[in-house]
Amino acid sequence: MDNIKQPENIVYQKPALLNDTDMHYCPGCSHGVVHKLIAEVIEEMGMENKAVGVSPVGCAVFAYKYIDIDWQEAAHGRAPAIATAIKRLWPDRLVFTYQGDGDLACIGTAETIHALNRGENIAIIFINNAIYGMTGGQMAPTTLMGMKTSTCPYGRQADLHGYPLKITEIAAQLEGTCYVTRQSVHSVAAIRKAKRAIRQAFENSMNHRGSSLVEIVSTCSSGWKKTPVEANKWMEEHMFDFYHVGDLKTV
Amino acid sequence: MKDSGNEIVLMKGNEAIAHAAIRCGCDGYFGYPITPQSEILETLAVQKPWETTGMVVLQAESEVASINMIYGGGAAGKRVMTSSSSPGVALMQEGITYMAGAEIPGLIVNVQRGGPGLGTIQPSQGDYFQATRGGGNGDYNVIVLAPSSVQEMADFVDLAFELAFKYRTPAMILSDGVVGQVMEKVVLPPFKPRRTEEEVLRECPWATTGHTPDRPVNIITSLELRPEAMEKHNLHLQEKYSIIRANEVRYEELQTEDAEYLIVAFGSAARIAQKAISDLRKEGIKVGLLRPITLWPFPTDRIIELCSQVKGILTFEINAGQMVEDVRLAVNGRIPVTHYGKMGGIVPTPNELIDVLKKDFKI
Repeated sequence: MDNIKQPENIVYQKPALLNDTDMHYCPGCSHGVVHKLIAEVIEEMGMENKAVGVSPVGCAVFAYKYIDIDWQEAAHGRAPAIATAIKRLWPDRLVFTYQGDGDLACIGTAETIHALNRGENIAIIFINNAIYGMTGGQMAPTTLMGMKTSTCPYGRQADLHGYPLKITEIAAQLEGTCYVTRQSVHSVAAIRKAKRAIRQAFENSMNHRGSSLVEIVSTCSSGWKKTPVEANKWMEEHMFDFYHVGDLKTV
Repeated sequence: MKDSGNEIVLMKGNEAIAHAAIRCGCDGYFGYPITPQSEILETLAVQKPWETTGMVVLQAESEVASINMIYGGGAAGKRVMTSSSSPGVALMQEGITYMAGAEIPGLIVNVQRGGPGLGTIQPSQGDYFQATRGGGNGDYNVIVLAPSSVQEMADFVDLAFELAFKYRTPAMILSDGVVGQVMEKVVLPPFKPRRTEEEVLRECPWATTGHTPDRPVNIITSLELRPEAMEKHNLHLQEKYSIIRANEVRYEELQTEDAEYLIVAFGSAARIAQKAISDLRKEGIKVGLLRPITLWPFPTDRIIELCSQVKGILTFEINAGQMVEDVRLAVNGRIPVTHYGKMGGIVPTPNELIDVLKKDFKI
């Protein structure tokens, strides 16, 4: 069977840009899949030499360790401001941010909204798992009503915590955005769609068509205190009910 | 644009900053309006350098965004700057410490106003501590240049960029509402073109410009979770700061040769001190001026030398007494050191300074 590993027989392999560093992500986490898609898209577009990523504060803070492109690590929430400057100063580069819900929809709301509203030619990849993963499962701006986290241990309730924020719906209202979509990576079909969305967003950046936002509704099995399989199921049953998957804006 | 070689023009300090930025090959300005420095962004908007030199000018949504745009642009190897005034610079401290930690060059201009809090729009030098002690979290310093004239506002823009890139660290021009708003004669610096893409790549091989096969990937970050590695990085930063201390101290002296008393003052306060010294000398009182141009690194060694010559030092600042701590650290009890200053946006007069000096040293 050894000689089956011939180039003509290869139908799937790890993207070259995804290096061999062991990922720190938990089993069942969506980050690894999205990282792989980004690496694949950059390779397929031939943008290895032109891509500059901006990583967030949160679970994806170490994104720069896994995908072999140039990266800047941003302060919490500030990635869109950083990406704004990089793209304006290097207009032929592929500039994207990779941010979680706390980073993008809470502490960085102003930077997110204004970069999108200016129509910066950047792509924003937004991982929404409705919880703060890196700090250990606290309430996020996108935590669902009734959902339990370490800072809303009895469940999110409006009078104490306010409501979950659909920032992607807000982004779709902004003149500067050309492409706003919500995807997931819990099934093969969903992964394929998410990859197409990332490719579209990256092409928009290169074609200077305005801002693109790709939300990926994601799992956090550790934060949700579920097995990876249970987390996927819970996401389908609860997250998709509130965060509807699909394109919100295509210009 | 006023554009002849050595032509003398009349303009505000803030306007001089904007013209100097365009002329010294600045790649981008990102800022948010705040009094008393909004003329910097306004002047750039009128000059439209994006049509001439290709310089990017962007009004950001906040000072927080502005400083992070400087982080992004500087980390991509570009000569980028922002400007603000005291409360806005307070907001920028997060980005400044990230820049220091990640070793990103960039220029921050602070045209100071009185504080604390929203304070006043009148001039102050109350941000001396914030500027010279780092200002944000962690162990770091920022190179701080203190202009005392419109000419120096113009001249220090290029100097700040040169120092920032030489040492891969943020540099600050710590001005104040007087120097920013006053109109004076100025000779604008000669035009220096923006660096080409090839020049940027050659000068900044560390920058995130897109990974080419001839070098490893460039990752700009201030994060390191391994204590041993973080300590090593901190020691590297401290080593860099000690090199800056040894090589980049700048100051100006006025009539110190025969001085029996010394006034130490920076920025607009030094201009007031000059007039006071001139008047005091007419009375036969031999007073000299030491004007630190770099507030960090501070001219400690020169103050130590002058201790063996003068009988006492009056530190004059438009604040409650901040630089006086650095003067006292240098003097270390050898001779008396006093302070005079005003707060709340009040700019003291030369006569007040004359009275204080006579009283402090019983002349």
